[in-house]
Amino acid sequence: MSMDKSSQGSLQSIAGDVLPTCSAACPVHTDTREYVQRISKGDYEGALDVLLEVNPFPSVCGRICHHPCESKCRRVAIDEAVSLRMLKRFVVENTAAHRIARRKKAVQINSDKSAAIIGAGPAGLTAAMDLALRGYKVKVYEKDTKLGGMLAHAIPRYRLPPEALAQDIEDILATGIEVHFGSSVGVDISFEQLRKENDAVLIAVGLSESHSLPIPGTGSKGVFLGVTFLWDVANGLCPELGERTLVIGGGNVAIDIARAAKRLGPKNVYMACLESREEMPAWKWEIAEAEEEGIEILNSWGPKAILEKDGAVRAMEFRRCASVFDAQRRFSPSYDESVTNTVEVDSVILGIGQKANLDFLLGSEVSVNGGRLTCDRESMATSEPGVFACGEVMTGPGSAIQAVGTGHDAAKVLAHYLETGEILKLPDKNTINIGELPAATAAKARRLDRVCVDLTDPAERIKDFSPIEPVYTEEEALSESRRCLSCATGAHLQFPNHCAGCLTCVRICPFGVAQVRRTAFMPPQECQTCGLCAAECPAFAIEVLRFPTAAMKKSMVENVAGLDLERVARPFLIAYCCVNGTTSRKYLKDQSAGEIMETGVLRILVPCVGRLSMADLVSPFELGADKVAVVSCPEGACYYPRVEGWLERRITRTQRYLDEIGLGGEKLQLFKMEGSGDESWTRIWERFRAVNLETAVGR
Amino acid sequence: MSDKSVVKSGSNLERVLSSGHFAVTCECGPPKGADVEHLEKKIALVKGCVDAANVTDNQTAVVRMSSIAASYILVKNGVEPVMQMVTRDRNRIAAQSDLFGAYALGIRNMLCLTGDHQTFGNHPKSKNVFDIDSLQLLDVVRTIRDSGVVNSGDPVQGGVKMFLGAAANPFADPFEFRVIRLAKKIDAGADFVQTQCIYDMNRFREFMKMACDMGLDRKCYILAGLTPLKSAGMAAYMNKNVAGISIPDEIIKRIRGVAKTEQAEEGIRLLLEQIQEVREIPGVAGVHIMAIEWEERVKEITERAGLLPRPRF
Amino acid sequence: MIVADPKPFLQVKGYLEDFQKVLVVGCGTCTTVCLSGGEAEVQILASGLRIAFGKDGRKKTILEGCVQRQCDLEFIVPVLSQVEAEGIDAVVSLACGVGVNFLADRLGNIPIFPGLDTTFYGANMQQGLWAEMCAGCGSCIVAYTGGICPVARCSKHLLNGPCGGSEKGKCEVDPKNIDCVWQLIYDRLKRLGRLEDLRNLLPAKDWSTASDGGVRRSAREQLYDVK
Ligand SMILES: Cc1cc2nc3c(=O)[nH]c(=O)nc-3n(C[C@H](O)[C@H](O)[C@H](O)COP(=O)(O)OP(=O)(O)OC[C@H]3O[C@@H](n4cnc5c(N)ncnc54)[C@H](O)[C@@H]3O)c2cc1C
Ligand code: SF4
Ligand code: SF4
Repeated sequence: MSMDKSSQGSLQSIAGDVLPTCSAACPVHTDTREYVQRISKGDYEGALDVLLEVNPFPSVCGRICHHPCESKCRRVAIDEAVSLRMLKRFVVENTAAHRIARRKKAVQINSDKSAAIIGAGPAGLTAAMDLALRGYKVKVYEKDTKLGGMLAHAIPRYRLPPEALAQDIEDILATGIEVHFGSSVGVDISFEQLRKENDAVLIAVGLSESHSLPIPGTGSKGVFLGVTFLWDVANGLCPELGERTLVIGGGNVAIDIARAAKRLGPKNVYMACLESREEMPAWKWEIAEAEEEGIEILNSWGPKAILEKDGAVRAMEFRRCASVFDAQRRFSPSYDESVTNTVEVDSVILGIGQKANLDFLLGSEVSVNGGRLTCDRESMATSEPGVFACGEVMTGPGSAIQAVGTGHDAAKVLAHYLETGEILKLPDKNTINIGELPAATAAKARRLDRVCVDLTDPAERIKDFSPIEPVYTEEEALSESRRCLSCATGAHLQFPNHCAGCLTCVRICPFGVAQVRRTAFMPPQECQTCGLCAAECPAFAIEVLRFPTAAMKKSMVENVAGLDLERVARPFLIAYCCVNGTTSRKYLKDQSAGEIMETGVLRILVPCVGRLSMADLVSPFELGADKVAVVSCPEGACYYPRVEGWLERRITRTQRYLDEIGLGGEKLQLFKMEGSGDESWTRIWERFRAVNLETAVGR
Repeated sequence: MSDKSVVKSGSNLERVLSSGHFAVTCECGPPKGADVEHLEKKIALVKGCVDAANVTDNQTAVVRMSSIAASYILVKNGVEPVMQMVTRDRNRIAAQSDLFGAYALGIRNMLCLTGDHQTFGNHPKSKNVFDIDSLQLLDVVRTIRDSGVVNSGDPVQGGVKMFLGAAANPFADPFEFRVIRLAKKIDAGADFVQTQCIYDMNRFREFMKMACDMGLDRKCYILAGLTPLKSAGMAAYMNKNVAGISIPDEIIKRIRGVAKTEQAEEGIRLLLEQIQEVREIPGVAGVHIMAIEWEERVKEITERAGLLPRPRF
Repeated sequence: MIVADPKPFLQVKGYLEDFQKVLVVGCGTCTTVCLSGGEAEVQILASGLRIAFGKDGRKKTILEGCVQRQCDLEFIVPVLSQVEAEGIDAVVSLACGVGVNFLADRLGNIPIFPGLDTTFYGANMQQGLWAEMCAGCGSCIVAYTGGICPVARCSKHLLNGPCGGSEKGKCEVDPKNIDCVWQLIYDRLKRLGRLEDLRNLLPAKDWSTASDGGVRRSAREQLYDVK
């Protein structure tokens, strides 16, 4: 038997509406904790279901998400964040068949209302899918021939291979949206026509153009605009770069440009930016990876002029950037003109920011101000009734998952408008999260190294655009998933009226967090879900939400009921095994009745066997087990302090009791794994089954 | 409170003490059955050597012939008994009734004790009584003697005159409380006190000094308890296992230092020295020699200690 | 709190030989707190009984229940109804003796058996360890003994100081586990500057308020209906 079924439903949290910090940080509030828990139980398909619940782009996100969840993971208080993006990637790459099987079918159009969406980036596609699933007729107009917006034609393939994006897009297209490829609004079809043909229009055109620089020389040969450059690269057109290429900009886009440029062959690739090293907006890891690839970063330089010779770039002249921000932390660079620097280069690529192209709105009533679309963030409405916006055109530069989030919102807003003709104000987005893990608790928790993967060697990776990051192996994913603290799903006083306030929980909690305030209280912010209190509670008033043992017992009973006990191989062993010891899902799968009868072993997986109560240890005998094995992690490897000791004492107590009732204490044994469960469990079971303990129980 | 100038029961022991003699008492444990002959043999061994002999009351909570009956047999055989009575086995009703009976049989000395806990004896599963403690027993008996009323206040028919004793253990803890407790016992009615066996002479001296400083020696006769060591083994055993007794290392070494066959003699030599030592301690009015199951040596001991003959009244 | 220890399993099993349908009922108050009679212990005992009888080849129905307190009628009414409605033919109580008695008085012709040995009124010294603190003598004297009870905590219930067996703060009856309460009293009165109190003789105690005075009731006048 694998994990009990009841825990397969979404984990309810004892903190109510309060989210773990990871989910709260995620723009679409992915139930992070739940998908990670499902991975840890070997339920990768279930994990994918959780992901797809809110995010149509899990394959993309598994590769390139900026993972605000990780940045907020509470585990940082102990060691390092859980590697959530890598886990997500592991899920999507191991559940392809399930993904196809569960793919949503197009919904019968059930409304006479239709919507046009301009732009097939993540924002527009998300909104289109949501609306299609609600039964509206949705038409998407995309000027390009590929779907995905920047994901398709900006993000270089070594980070996001087209196959990953294609996986997500296929799901979306299956929902029955109508896509007009190569259909640039304002060129191929007018905005006014869209308005006439549809009841609502959603502008999701993103920021598709690069900013230029107001300095001399930008018109020279060898000067490229970032977005155009990346588009060319993404579409297999190799822009011709000189031996020395300079990228202007210090953000993530500039890094992508530089790294893509490096792969096209120039000997030297430089990046120059206004910011000092510490101020650079790009992610630290992106900078590090760029440098590994030999890209040289010139900090605190402001572009002064592109020097040309015969109309082609010769060099770039800089002045010292004294400061980037003013006292109010606003972007307002100041320069020290006396310090200059000239770098000889052959090509210059501008990666200093993107802007929207809103030319298609010229002549319409939709208000544009200083090149920016006028749009109310709360209702996503533009100045014109029935015209809405989402994605980066509304938010400014952001991330893919943020664009997805606005796509979902836009669908809600549009649907409301289509039904009622009214504007919907979206509720306040601020969620309550459970806050950081208190230092005192963190100090008592065991440190577990984050599972890291090795990127392709830099010398290799600059040779072409092959993906540079390997996916987690199953063993790595399982091990990383178990680092998740499963925040706020720990011990909970399930039966307050049973609680006698005996203080057992307070005295036994290895983290010192349980309290008795008339009745027991395990603060969700602090509980580490070891379950020791629940195991020792004399009133059985405490449940660990993450793993309710009552449900475990129920499914054990059901499992045994499905067996023909006369024919089961004897001795019949029920083995409680610590799920944390598995390195594959070989043992995490459901066991068939046939298998149990043939092998004489029913395994019950528990996330830490320390949470088994004495009653849990006795009850298998009642069900007909001849022997009961408790298989824990290797000596000293338990995730929780002090739990091993308490488990040993509980086993001893139970053995004495079994002696007393005439069954024989030796029928219950504690085993410590040697190595992983996958290697050692069978050996442990068979060895224990082979020990002759005379007669079996009750028959 | 006890007043030495008033005659309490006129027993032999009281007279020996009140006339200023250095008193000698010993122990005479009743048999674990009704074997009168055995008891009489013991009596014969100590007769003439002591002023009175303590008759223990189911000591160490092992069932023996009742101390009243055994005391009466002592009376019949011409040795004055100090009847011991513990509160472990009797409530105040039984205690008072037994007191009347004892007096009627001619018993004139009584030692009031709480008694060893029954878990030490041969009936550890029994229920104890402890309705009153030893001090309260002293108080009850003294009230009967001096005021003629039982504990409830009802009058006693005829007089019941007992010379009342208590035990003191200078070696148990808390040490500072030991003298206070002695004072309390005297306040409760103790006319004489027999101490637990003394091996740590310095501590006993200290105890006596504190007692004298409080004037207790003037209110009550203090008899120093002594037990001869038969062997080094016995010394070690007592040191380790008997609560409230500690035997200094040098004594154990001294006994161990002689050949096995000589150890008994060495024990007696030590006892004789101890008798001399306690005689010189101010406030000590006599010795109580607890020669446990060694009554046959009492005569020799008292003789060699120069305590014979005993005064006669 | 009242402290009770589990009875030896075979003793409880022995009581039940002749019964077919047994209800094991726990108590959610004292015996839960002293880890001998709560929900958990009910399950463990019931499980054990089923296994043990099953092993003997005798299938019995062992039901489980637990109430908040077995010493209040309102709480046990559901037990009484269950016994009647389900034709239960014996009850095992995991309450203190109070619960057993209280149920027995109300169970008509259905037998009840104690699953625990009730020991004392005690306090928790650490997880899994309790010690006796009060004897329920009905006339508290601890005002004179520094708040520490010699009736309950002296092996001989001495009221006027320690016997000769007090050594290094321990009681002669079990020096490993029992403190000499008189040492505790002495030390405490010393700290309180009240050692003088010990000089007074506490006369023979009035035990009539204890169980020695006959079975006791506690009547709070004006709070109960006098019949
Ligand atoms: C180089 C680069 C790297 C990035 N890396 C990451 C990353 O690692 N992680 C991350 O989370 N985010 C990253 N992003 C950001 C992410 O790609 C964007 O946030 C996201 O794509 C925005 O989605 P959107 O739908 O709003 O707009 P877009 O993705 O820009 O899509 C807009 C679509 O509208 C189409 N369009 C525009 N005008 C018209 C018109 N007139 N008619 C028809 N169609 C039109 C465009 O062709 C485009 O397909 C990166 C962005 C860039 C540029
Ligand atoms: S430990 Fe798990 S649930 Fe907690 S914040 Fe990190 S990923 Fe989320
Ligand atoms: S014992 Fe474990 S499960 Fe219970 S409160 Fe403490 S950390 Fe949480």
